Formats: sequence, C-alpha cells, structure tokens
Amino acid sequence: MNSFFIGIVILLISGFSAGKFADKLKVSVLSILVGIASVFCLTPAVQSLVKGDYFIKTFDFNSLFGAVNFVIDPLAAFFIVVISIMSLVSVIYSKGYLKPYIEKGKNINSHLVFLPLLIASMMAVVTCQNAFMFLICWEVMSLSSFFLVIFENEKKDVLKAGIKYLVFMHISVLFIMIAFGMLSIKAGSFDFSAFKLVLENNVHFANIIFILAFIGFGCKAGFVPFHNWLPDAHPAAPSHVSAIMSGVMIKTGIYGILRIISLIGIPSKSIAYTVLIISLVSALYGVLYAISQHDLKRLLAYHSIENIGIIGMGLGVGMLGMAYHTPIVAILGFAGGILHILNHSIFKELLFLSAGSVYTKTHTRNIEVLGGLIKSMPKSAILFLIGSVAICGLPPFNGFISEFLIYLGMFRGLSIHNFFSCVMILFTIAGLALVGTMAVLCFSKAFSIIFLGMPRSEEAEKVQEDASCSMILPMSFLALLTLVIGLLPQYVFAVMLKPVSVLVNINILDMVSPGFLMWTISIFAFAFVVFLTLLILLKLKFTKGKIQMNETWGCGYNRGNNHMQYTASSYASPFLTMLNPLFKKVFDIEKPRKLFPQSAHFSMHVEDIEEAYVIEPVVKSDEWFLSKFEGLQDGNIQSYIKYGLIFLIIVIIGSLFM
Amino acid sequence: MIIKILNLIILLFVPFLMAGVIKKTKAFWGGRKGASVFQPFYDFVKLLKKDFVISKTTSKVFTIAPIVQIASVLFAAMFIPLAYGNALINVSAGLIIFAYTLSLGKFASLISAMDTGSSFEGMGASREACFTSIVEPAFFMTIASVMALSGNYSFTALQNILSSSGNYGILITIFAIAVLFIMILIEGSRVPVDDPTTHLELTMIHEVMILDNSGLDLALFSWANSIKMLLLSSLIAYMIIPAGVSVWVSILIYLAVMFLISVLIGTIESGMARFRMSHVFEFVFVMSSFALVVLSLVVARMFGG
Repeated sequence: MNSFFIGIVILLISGFSAGKFADKLKVSVLSILVGIASVFCLTPAVQSLVKGDYFIKTFDFNSLFGAVNFVIDPLAAFFIVVISIMSLVSVIYSKGYLKPYIEKGKNINSHLVFLPLLIASMMAVVTCQNAFMFLICWEVMSLSSFFLVIFENEKKDVLKAGIKYLVFMHISVLFIMIAFGMLSIKAGSFDFSAFKLVLENNVHFANIIFILAFIGFGCKAGFVPFHNWLPDAHPAAPSHVSAIMSGVMIKTGIYGILRIISLIGIPSKSIAYTVLIISLVSALYGVLYAISQHDLKRLLAYHSIENIGIIGMGLGVGMLGMAYHTPIVAILGFAGGILHILNHSIFKELLFLSAGSVYTKTHTRNIEVLGGLIKSMPKSAILFLIGSVAICGLPPFNGFISEFLIYLGMFRGLSIHNFFSCVMILFTIAGLALVGTMAVLCFSKAFSIIFLGMPRSEEAEKVQEDASCSMILPMSFLALLTLVIGLLPQYVFAVMLKPVSVLVNINILDMVSPGFLMWTISIFAFAFVVFLTLLILLKLKFTKGKIQMNETWGCGYNRGNNHMQYTASSYASPFLTMLNPLFKKVFDIEKPRKLFPQSAHFSMHVEDIEEAYVIEPVVKSDEWFLSKFEGLQDGNIQSYIKYGLIFLIIVIIGSLFM
Repeated sequence: MIIKILNLIILLFVPFLMAGVIKKTKAFWGGRKGASVFQPFYDFVKLLKKDFVISKTTSKVFTIAPIVQIASVLFAAMFIPLAYGNALINVSAGLIIFAYTLSLGKFASLISAMDTGSSFEGMGASREACFTSIVEPAFFMTIASVMALSGNYSFTALQNILSSSGNYGILITIFAIAVLFIMILIEGSRVPVDDPTTHLELTMIHEVMILDNSGLDLALFSWANSIKMLLLSSLIAYMIIPAGVSVWVSILIYLAVMFLISVLIGTIESGMARFRMSHVFEFVFVMSSFALVVLSLVVARMFGG
C-alpha cells in the first residue's frame, strides 16, 4: 500500500519537474516519471486483483474529516490497473501529438502539470473511502480535466465546450454531495463502512441515495440524459486527453455507481429496472447519434455514450440478478459490465489516438473531406480498423467477450420466473443486438470514409507519411491487448471474478459452465485466426500474377472521380431517414440561381435533440432571468460594499429569529 | 464421425444445389427448360480458374475481405444444427457467437465494397448495413423467446418447441418460421427485397456490393451468401424435424425442407417484382412484428392464465 502512495507523490511532482527540462525533453521526462509511478501504483493493485487481498491505510486528519481510509480492494484495484496502464499509454502518445504545438512555441508547462494531476486524482478517487476526501479528489479530477480540455484556449469554441463541461461536472458533484451529505448525517460519519450499515437496513433511504448518486455519477459517466457535455468536450480536447477522458475518466462515474451498489448490498427491483432501461436508452441514443455525425471525435464521443450504456446494461443485469436472488445472473452481468469497462478503455483509447494521428496529418476532424488514407497511413489505418472491429463487439477481439458475458447473463436471467423480468430481458437482448448492428453500420462508415476509396480533398491527398513511431507504438500495444483479451478470455474472466466478488458472493461451482464457455470461445477464436491466416497466405500465393489493375466499374462510365464517391452522410442516410423524428436536422442550403449559377452549396448536420429542445431553452430562459439583475453589477466599488452590508444585516436578523 | 462428415458435405455442397433449384423453379414458371441444378457449382469452379481484374483504387482490404467473409460463414456454421444431430459446438448462447461471427463477415464485405470508391457499391453497402441492423434484433428476439420458453439456452431449444408446448408450440413454430423465412429473403438478397438478376445497378443491394469482385473473390462471396441461406434454412428444418428420428429419415426431411424453401423462393421471385426501396423497409419491419408475435406468444404461454 505504501508503494501506491509513493506512486501518487511521484505523479504529483512529475508535472512540475518535467517543466524544468528543455522543450524537446519535457514530454519524454513526464512519460518516464508517469511510467515509474504506474509501476508503483500497479504493484499493490495487481496483488489485490490476483490474490483478492485488501490493503487499508488510515490517515487521521483533523476533526472535520475524521479518519480517512484509503482502501485497495479488488474493485479499486481493477480501476487502478485500468487508470495506470491506459493513462501511461496516452502520455507516451502525447509526445508525438504535442510536437507540432511545441514547435509553434506554445507553452505546455501547465498542461504537463494537470495531466499527471488528473491521473493521481483518479487513483485517489477509486481508493478513497471517506466521503469528504472523496469529494475533494473528485473535484480535483474535474478541474484538472477541465484545464486539459481547454488546451487550445485561444479558440472560442474550445473555451465554450470547456465551460459547458465545467457546468455539467458541477451539476454532477452537487448530486453526489447531496447523497453523501444525507448519508453522513444519518450515519454520523464520513466513512463508507458506516454508510454501509445505514444503507443495508433501510430500503427506501437506499433507493433515494442510489437515485441521487446515479444522477451524480451518471453525469460523469455520460448516461442519457446527462450526456450532453461529452460530444462537445471530446472534440475540443487534444486527442490524448480525449483518450484519457473517454477511456478512463468517465469510468470513475461507473466506479461510483459500483461502489454505491456494494454499499447497498441488495438493490431493490425497481432500481434494477431503472438502471437497465436508462442504459438501454443510452446505448441506443449514443449509437444513433454516432451514425449521424461527420466529426470523427464527436462520433467517438457518442460511441462512448453507447458503450457506457452497454456497461450499464451489464450492471443492470447484475442488479436484476441480485434483486431476484439469482447469483449466477448477477455475477455474469457484473463480470460483463466490468470487463467492458476495461475493453472500452482499450479500444476507445486506440480509436481516439488513431483519430489524433489522422488529425495531426490532415488538420481536420471532418470525415467528409478525408478518404484513401490507407495508402499514405497504412499503420494508422490498420490500428483504426482493429479498434473498429473491437468496438463493434465482433470476434476474435475483446469487445465480443464482454458483450457475450452480458448476453449470457441475460439468457440466464430468462430463467427468473417473473413476467416483467422476462419481457424486459427479451427486449434488452434485442436492444443490445440492435446496438451491435448499428455499431457495425457506424464503424464501417467511419473506417471506409476516412481510409478507403479516393481522397475527397486536398488535405487528404497531401498526406505523405504515417504518424511518427512514438504515436504508433502505444497504439500497437493497445491493438495487441484487444486481440489478447479476445483470444484468451478464460483467464481474463477468472480475474474479473475478483472485483465482482466485492459485490456478490461467488459460488465456485456456478462458474464452471461460464468458464467452459470462455474456453470454447478461446479455442474457437484461435482456430478462426489460424484458419484465416492460412487462407490469406494461400490466396496470396496462388493469385500472384493473375491480377490486372483497372478502373473501378462505373456502369460503363470510366471517368469516375473522388467527388462521385459515396460520402458519410449518404452512407448513413437510409438509416437516418427511417428514424427521422429522432433528429433535429439543420440544413444550410444555397440553391443555384439564375441562368449561369455563380455559387451553390448544401450542408446538413444533425443536432442533439436534447440539446436543441431541453438544454437550449433552459439556458435561454436562465439568461433572460439573470439579465434582469445586470443592473446590480455597475462596477462601482461603493455599491458592492453596500451589497455586502445588506447581506450582513440579513444574516444578523436571520440569526436572531432562528 | 460419419455424421459430422456428412453434415460438412451438406454444408459445402447443398448451397449450390439450393441456388440451382431456385433458378430451375424460375425457369419452370417462365416456361423455359433452364440450366441444370448443378450449374451454380460449375460456375463456382469456372470462377476459381479465372484471373482477377481489380480496381486501382482498392487496397489490401479488398483482397482480404472475401476470405474473412467465407471464413466467418464457415465458422458460424459450427453453431448451427445441420441435417442430423446437434450443432458441432452446441453451447448456451451459441446464438450470440453465431450472429456475431456472421457480423464480422458482413463488416468485411461492407468495407470491401466501400474500398472501390464507387458510388454504386457505397449505395449497396449502405443499404445492406441498414437492413441488417433491423433484421438482427428481430432474429435475436425470436430465438431468445423460444429459448426462454424451453429453458435451454442453446439452439437445442428450437427442437422441443413443436412437441412440448401444445397449441402454443404450433403457433410459435409457424411465426418463428415466418421470421426466419423473411430473414432468408433479406440476408440471401432475394426478391422482394433485392433482385440478384436485375440489370440495373441502382436497384441492387447485395449484388451491387460485389460489382468489382471477380474470379475467386466473386466465387467466395456468392458461395458465402448461399451458405448463409442454408444456415438459416437449417434452423427452420431443425424446428420441424422431430427429435429421435433415425439418421436417414432426418437427412431426408432436411433435404426436403431445403428443396421446399428453394422452390418457394423461386416461386416468389417468379410471381412478384421487387419492392421499391422505401417499401423494403416496411417489409423488413414485418419481420420485426412477427418476432414480437413470437415474443408475446411465449410470454402468454409462460405467464398466461
């Protein structure tokens, strides 16, 4: 446990010390320091995850905090592993990504301070078991990530997205504060173990706390309808920061929900259904909007919402299993959900990083102007392809394993002899299938529009070389991980049972049949990969010299050009037209006029309906209301003193009456 | 062991025969004599010998995609019960592995179509992706409902349904077969969803995706497509074949079902034109509503009165 704190301290000082070095070396020094810190943090975490050990370290603060416990149980250990590995990969990648900015003379010192601060605060959040300290770490996490998001703060929309993020994070923390406040009043202590006693014996109170905490943590995680900050903040942030935020930071929201479940013990049925429904809606909403986006990073951000929904489905199935006292369902659901946390952080990070390398070469995030990049950037293309296949949950990659576990949990859940659970689970199975196939649509679109066909613009045509080695290496590591988890699920599943054991008691005998299934999948996947490789080698051998190159078939028209290709909007169009009422489409049309039209253009983008019909009206009316008080701010120091005085008088009078 | 080899032979060759029977049926209704039912197989062999013409725009993706497609279909077949006995790998939630392995092949064929940079192929890929996304949930819902009823989460669940659930069993079987049959029409790109023999690229779905494939690639794609049809038809046969019949009776019924399905598809193709693209969506949703019927029948059987 001590080594964990050494790691945290190294992280805290690493940013400041990296700033002392020459510009070229800064990021390398930071990577090395974060690497060392990761090793220190990983040691106790891996031990806990493999052996199931608990580490506790108590700090005695003043009377306000009480005793502050930092605990590494298998659940926290799992999150520490995810946080340290994934953050390290992003930090290593950032060297290549920040290079052009450093060359332009941008000062990155503050960025390098906040980056390790974010990592350290995330680690603290998942280990801290004192509500007060937890909130402080949570706030440090939100603020440091805010400063990372506004890296390019000279751009106005970046600043705007950053502020939106900040506002959402404070709505989130407000709900968590209320939940923890109510708990600590009732328990008389800030410690989580005291909360556990209160929650276990009081079902209605536990429900209220869970809902409040779910809203709070759900804002961070990005469950619909609290997701609105995600699609704005991710495109604004630099790629490695989006990767950390989407891959790791939003998972701390899931951690919060899991921790609350572990404190509650057995959740009530209505709560389990609520979580399942919200997750299903999030997953569908996320992937639907992802299909409609042309901005690559916005698309990926919406996919984060989808994947958070899938993780939530796992948790929902788990809670349903607990509520109906069917441990096998609970274990499979939670195991699937928790494994999907790891899997999503791997492939989402991979996708964000390869999106970043496309951005550094083409300077655009609009996929409509890209195309044909597989020829100039073959490595990035393959890595993006692996990420795409993995995120669609297709075998033999890792996304399949976690989705399979969730499905298996649902199938087992069908044996719960209850009308509502049966119907709900059947619809969730169909819903998850729909999410999967829509993801296939979305990523076949994203990959093929960016990397295949012919370049759609000069930016795409001008690209000469692939991303630098320092960017490709961390991505290749992630791609390898997706394949390893996909090929060896039996070991990963065995490890996943440790964090699940914090939530549910596991009976080893129940785990024989899922374990056997994991072995089956592993053998199947290995056989598939070997068969595929053999066939490909055979084909390459026997078709040598039998291939002629020619123009693409254009129905007899052989002057096809890059503007005649299918675009991302046209690819998604049949699907979006079918679901028209779910979108707000904003058109920008200039029709050709007169006999010899000078100019004409057409563009369309899809706005988030929640943004358009809920958030914007609220913000507008809020602005209108607040504008009534503009007169108060007259810039005159005397009147400010007057306000202070009036306030004091009100407080004094108020306290007299109390 | 012999049965497994027999199943393998059926898996590899019956798809050609099914395609042949469909063509023969169409010829019959058209008043022609038609080519032999083995013609698709001869075509396959002929294509294997041919050279390739490949678009200059394409990349390695285009070369590898047909192989991924055929490998995924063949591996998915391991989870489907064929002429006799259970599937080669008969595990709970085998449905998931089956469907997701097929999806991998679909993903490969979608990006291979987009790789040519042709607007026609993009159009086909876009439609194909769109239809699949509606088809799959209905398929999952149907099979999962049947599994819920029998309490068995492998494909074996389909076998008991007709005999064990009385009148409900008959109704469920009928609607489940309807769902699967519509799925065959959609996934096999048949009339009224798609017309594989049309001369106009704009109206095609699956066929337009493989416009640029030639030689071995084309052969693999069309073979994979027929195998996919066979796999879905096998599920129908599996629901009908009573448990416990002898090997030869089972194989006989199986082949008869395959024959009937092919004749039915051929008859539909001779009897009606393909739907306008906007109506295809409505047709696809018919499948979803049948799936809902199966679901409600199952729920009624399990929890009703």
